[in-house]
Amino acid sequence: MALAARSTEESLTEADELLRAGRVDEAAAAYGALGGELPSAAICLRLARCHEQLGEPRDAHRYALAVVDADGDFASWQAAAAIARRTAESGDPPRRTARLALLGSYTTNQLATMLWLAALRVGVSLELYESPYGQYRQELLDPSSPAQAFDPELVVLAVHAGELALPPYSDDPEADVAAEVERWTSLWRTFGARSGATIVQHGFALPPDAPFGHLGATLPGSRQAMGQAVNSRLAASSPPSVAFVDCDRLAALVGKRRWFDARYWHFAKQAVALDALPILARHTAAVIAARLGLSRKCLVLDLDNTLWGGIVGEDGLDGIRLGETPEGEAFQAFQESILALERRGIVLAVCSKNNDADAREVFERHPAMRIGLDDVAVFVADWRSKPEQLRTVAETLDIGLEALVFVDDNPAEREAVRRLLPEVDVILLPPEPSEYVGTLADYLLFEPPSFTADDERRTEQYRGRREAVAAAPSADSIEDFYRSLEMQARVSPFTDSDLPRIAQLVGKTNQFNLTTRRHSAAALEAFARDPECVHLSFRLSDRFTDHGLIAVVAAFEGDDVLDVDTWLMSCRVIGRTLEETVLQELCGAALARACSAVEGTYVPSPKNELVRDLFPRLGFQPLDESEGTTRWRYDVAKNGAVVNDFIATTRADDAAA
Amino acid sequence: MPLHDDLEQVFRDVFADDALALTDETTAQDIAQWDSLGHVNLMFTIEERFGVRFRGNELAEFANVGELERFLEEHANGSGRA
Repeated sequence: MALAARSTEESLTEADELLRAGRVDEAAAAYGALGGELPSAAICLRLARCHEQLGEPRDAHRYALAVVDADGDFASWQAAAAIARRTAESGDPPRRTARLALLGSYTTNQLATMLWLAALRVGVSLELYESPYGQYRQELLDPSSPAQAFDPELVVLAVHAGELALPPYSDDPEADVAAEVERWTSLWRTFGARSGATIVQHGFALPPDAPFGHLGATLPGSRQAMGQAVNSRLAASSPPSVAFVDCDRLAALVGKRRWFDARYWHFAKQAVALDALPILARHTAAVIAARLGLSRKCLVLDLDNTLWGGIVGEDGLDGIRLGETPEGEAFQAFQESILALERRGIVLAVCSKNNDADAREVFERHPAMRIGLDDVAVFVADWRSKPEQLRTVAETLDIGLEALVFVDDNPAEREAVRRLLPEVDVILLPPEPSEYVGTLADYLLFEPPSFTADDERRTEQYRGRREAVAAAPSADSIEDFYRSLEMQARVSPFTDSDLPRIAQLVGKTNQFNLTTRRHSAAALEAFARDPECVHLSFRLSDRFTDHGLIAVVAAFEGDDVLDVDTWLMSCRVIGRTLEETVLQELCGAALARACSAVEGTYVPSPKNELVRDLFPRLGFQPLDESEGTTRWRYDVAKNGAVVNDFIATTRADDAAA
Repeated sequence: MPLHDDLEQVFRDVFADDALALTDETTAQDIAQWDSLGHVNLMFTIEERFGVRFRGNELAEFANVGELERFLEEHANGSGRA
């Protein structure tokens, strides 16, 4: 081991000397050979430098972003951010851009750089505004502040425990905690009344030093206990427009002695050790990505040596290692952590190079299996390549490849997927099975934007749809198929309890989305109060499953027309004629308001080609076109209201009447 | 790699300038980005790369690059690795 380590060190020194000597392409080759599947941050950074010098900005950009995945330290992030900035034009186009105001109680310049890099790695190009030092309250409260003029979509409140107005000991901790929680929630409210931005609130990382020692934990009046109470109450009282980053958990993860470095506070008012900024940035970026609808939805699992030890096709059902031995228990624990994800809405799929019957037999008969066939929405076991299998998974679930995360113990399979399906995220399992659980926990892009009752049912819904897909060919005609589904739609105006789900759909729906206007939760709440607005949500169920709330429409009453501002539908129910039911409801609303027509707009985006022809397909007439954006009109007075015979509709207001 | 080269690489990384060259006499006046914020980033990065730990006042005390190099020659444990 020692010999191998020294020789790596020597090779690195040799490569460094090549770089110094200006033999850049030889240096790049040497670093590349040293790197392996995921090169260390130091090597990623050197490769980024080489490619930049060689005039290959695209590769330079890729390696700069790889520093984020390589667990790099502050110094490498800082250098990587500089390279990524210089080469930004040459990288893959970001999935989203977003305007973000970073408001802090400490020096946030470094955090701004780290956050920009971490966000870019998850596909979000940030345009940043940074408040002057410690000005976060003024920025939020003053309607004419620069932050408000910047008109951000996102506001990160980067605050530290020093901002907590709590005494060292309180005689009335209940009142002091309540007052402190109110001080923060009132900031959210005041700002929220003027801005539709999502606030990303950093919770308070609490210092490890406790004047009351261990007794402090038992005393509700100790600052330590009150700090914890403020954290948990702030998190619990976050409205949909506020996302919470649990910094106390992150500080514990890093180690509190590392998180708090008093020298840098005294010297530079830096409340989070620079060393801890990369992880803070990564987690904040994950929460932001989730809010922007970029979280991943489906975990695709290899089987042999991933869910159990050994190869079932060779070792047989009794020969694989699962449960009982330390190694077998590690696989079992991994299965349990996967199930915990499934229970909160992540869809599971299997893709394995095996005979289907061999693979299924383990799930059906092995007593130590934790994941059951019922937990798996799509089961692909055959002899095709992994990329082909992954395509089948995506097609069966009718979701994009960028919703998939692939986990496999085999580096060659991972490489094949990375090369052929770059949209799929690949989790790099370490060689040691007992480290699988931690590796999965470190994967941040399953961060849920919210948790609704619909999420709990999602796996069931996807399973239901797979059966519906299977049922399709046996129906005589497409009409017979629709009828055989026995579909029922429930239509309701926006309600408080539905708003989180509605905001989730508005925030993340890409394909079936006519205008892709990302209204915030606060804006949608305002729609619901606006008498000029027709705001409807749609739930769909069929004989297989309840799909939950899957479509949203908002239209405004104008001069004799109902103008559709937002019309979107989850990919889960595309191909079910639900769009006709939506139009049916819009026609009904238009007639009820004595409007003679429904008008709509199609705004093209990179993702919504699917609905380019929706309006003409539904019988709308073209009005005008400008730069791809088209306007359409459906004359209700002349053509009559549309009725969809395939879906029985019930309305919330009918039930109430 | 000699200490001077390692330190130069740190400066290049921190100040995002691959052409930056150091002499013993280089001071904060000579590098535009070497302001108070740049100084914090520089000091912290040196701590990470050279495995040293500055005391509170040392964070602000080096008059020029030569002094910094002499400090690192005395205190650094092994070469700085990016």
